[in-house]
Amino acid sequence: MLPLSLLKTAQSHPMLVELKNGETYNGHLVSCDSWMNINLRDVICTSKDGDRFWRMPECYIRGSTIKYLRIPDEVIDMVKEDAQSKSRNRTELNKNRVANSANQRTARSGNRNNFGNRSGQLSGGSGNNALRVGASGQGNRLLAQNNKNRK
Amino acid sequence: MSGLESYINHTVSIITADGRNFIGTLKGFDQTINIIIDECHERVFSTSSGIEQIVLGLHIIRGDNIAVIGLIDESIDSRLDFANIRGEPLGPVVH
Repeated sequence: MLPLSLLKTAQSHPMLVELKNGETYNGHLVSCDSWMNINLRDVICTSKDGDRFWRMPECYIRGSTIKYLRIPDEVIDMVKEDAQSKSRNRTELNKNRVANSANQRTARSGNRNNFGNRSGQLSGGSGNNALRVGASGQGNRLLAQNNKNRK
Repeated sequence: MSGLESYINHTVSIITADGRNFIGTLKGFDQTINIIIDECHERVFSTSSGIEQIVLGLHIIRGDNIAVIGLIDESIDSRLDFANIRGEPLGPVVH
């Protein structure tokens, strides 16, 4: 488990942050990024010696100034649930992907047969060309759709 | 494989740059040695009384602040009599 995933899961939870200079910040985590920069709300700042306090509605702390973060115990179990539901979604996505690509393969081969029939029945002629353009346009759309589904 | 990988889910002792000693279960780490310590407690050494243990809970310690991570032998650790161990507290890392 990565420390920054745990931190991300701790969003909206209360926490205590101690800075390298010894000041501590108590507040609710609003957001964090991959540098551990954090955004707290409803903050109480305590001086290094612990005898002065400041209340502030919000604050932003640069990650590199942090010594440690104290997080509610239950958050670590929520990371596991997050990871599990994510991997579950991923396997479902893959299943759908396999199913889709199978459907699309049959659709595409059906089109191919149509092309073959058309070119067999109508040889040359401007009308045939127009048809072909139309049909191939449809094919491209299908391909585009396939690509979209893949993403 | 990083040496820390084999410490995961084991009890470790962390000495931080400010000279504190944290004990807990290593749950994770990243490339900058930020670490997750579960059931963390701090051991405070003093020359006048035994080791005081302060329960802290779940912690993320930033890698910048970590000096040493050591694996604890739980069978030895559980036999220690903290009330009768005296020791000078560590000072901070001097750069």
